[in-house]
Amino acid sequence: MKLYIKLVSASIRSRMQYKMNFVFSMVSYGIVMMIDFLMLAAILNRFNEVKGWNLYEVGILYGISSVSLSLYRTVAPEIHEFEKYMIEGEFDSLLIRPVSPLVLLLSKNLDLSRIGGALQGMIIIALSLYHISHTHSITMLLIYLPVILVCGWIISFSLALVTATIAFWTQRIKDFQTFTLYAPFNAANYPMNIYPGWLKFIFFTVIPVAFINYVPMLFLLNKGGSIYYLLLPVLVALLFFYLASAFWNFGIRFYHSTGT
Amino acid sequence: MIEARQLTKSFKIYPSKPGILNSMRSLFSAKYEIKHAVDSISFKIDEGEFVGYIGPNGAGKSTTIKMLSGILHPSSGTATVLGIDPQKERKELARNIGIVFGQRTQLWWDLPVKDSFEILKAMYKIDEQDYRHFLKQYDDILEIGRFLETPVRKLSLGQRMRADLAAAMIHNPSVLFLDEPTIGLDVVAKKNIREFLKEMNISHQKTIILTTHDMDDIEQLCSRVIVINQGKTVLDGSLEQLKNHIGLPSILKVLYDEHVNPKNISGVEKIEQNGSELTILYDRSKITSPALLQEISQWGTPKDIQMKEPDIEEVIQNFY
Repeated sequence: MKLYIKLVSASIRSRMQYKMNFVFSMVSYGIVMMIDFLMLAAILNRFNEVKGWNLYEVGILYGISSVSLSLYRTVAPEIHEFEKYMIEGEFDSLLIRPVSPLVLLLSKNLDLSRIGGALQGMIIIALSLYHISHTHSITMLLIYLPVILVCGWIISFSLALVTATIAFWTQRIKDFQTFTLYAPFNAANYPMNIYPGWLKFIFFTVIPVAFINYVPMLFLLNKGGSIYYLLLPVLVALLFFYLASAFWNFGIRFYHSTGT
Repeated sequence: MIEARQLTKSFKIYPSKPGILNSMRSLFSAKYEIKHAVDSISFKIDEGEFVGYIGPNGAGKSTTIKMLSGILHPSSGTATVLGIDPQKERKELARNIGIVFGQRTQLWWDLPVKDSFEILKAMYKIDEQDYRHFLKQYDDILEIGRFLETPVRKLSLGQRMRADLAAAMIHNPSVLFLDEPTIGLDVVAKKNIREFLKEMNISHQKTIILTTHDMDDIEQLCSRVIVINQGKTVLDGSLEQLKNHIGLPSILKVLYDEHVNPKNISGVEKIEQNGSELTILYDRSKITSPALLQEISQWGTPKDIQMKEPDIEEVIQNFY
């Protein structure tokens, strides 16, 4: 942990060497965030109800999915940009240290500008909760929300780790990320019952984004779920994280490196 | 101390095309060629040896070093370094070896050199006293004190290499893998680095494997030379054996203002004539360059003279 803090602070100091760039990326990300928020509001205004879920219930799904993804993007930008380690052969320099390469990757960088995305999601959750509180009791939801967000974060990180591992064979992963991260998380902005069966199957198994928000909300918003649904996100997050790390450790054996 | 047994690394080369469909296809496709980057190499290196590991570009030098240090997994064969299996106990091995890649710095690019050292200090759990001793010792031999506060990106190539070498020594490893540590350096910087390596080997009993393109590195540093080409060992022996085998010729190119008739001189191995231009391959240990220059000026009036040191690529070609 001490090493992690030391490495992270080194990365922030490196970033601060280019102060203008740092400020600029914060500002531009803020603008993107605003536009995204306005688009969501427009969509939410158009539909009154999506398959039994009203605006604010969908807002909660949307918020959780977007906070989960943003937290992952904040903590693990180097996992997200992993293909550069393959293409430039930079992964070598992580493997000559007496520390796990995953720890080195995570401590190499923090993308603080992504915190904006998490804040945006939080605001949407808060607004939605406020409206829902007129008709539901939200005590249970409030208590359980942190658990949900942590699980969502772990699941998105695990998905990203699996995608990054693919780079040991294919070198490039940008194309895969569309299928394993962007599209599923977009899909998880809305309730799973609007999707056809085969897609639902994927979201409940190989890319388990349904467990991030939909499953626990079935119970918490009285949509016919049982209290055991609250355990599922935790179990899925732990299992999926375990599988993703195992796959990662397996994939490292196939690292090619590059010629000099 | 370091042992390679039938070490082999082969790569599958897929003909790759851009786009998601093609990259998916190449992931599962059976169409590939197998290339042996390292082909069943075996050697045994004892404590305190200074081994030159040479060969042309793409011969498999870096790949071998990466397998010995645990970065790459061999396709077949095994390696042992300090009694440790590099693949099974990579982290344990990392505490006991130092690695320098001449082409790529291991330091934090935007931070002062000192910050990189302090991160490494935490990473290798070095105590304060040893760390202070390290800074003093390496200021004495590599003069790193002069640029400790400078960001790495602002260092000259020679300074950067000194900082990289010091960083590789911070945990006092007993084995050093150096992949082209003198590449791109000027004469003075090369001399500094060679002196440093010599001292590490002689006074500190470090075992060193060095890859290089510079024959002077080999001549001045290495007691033993392993030559590889296309992944296979071509020669494993002393510097003397290498010289006997290939002669290590120096090269002199002379352009005369007219056609000349060269004579035989002892020490000259070969003369190639192309119009009024002569390419003379000679052995510096048998005839000195000034003596040779005196000889050739008697053949005619030289318009231009160029001297070239032997190049690894050419040396290896002389094997065939």
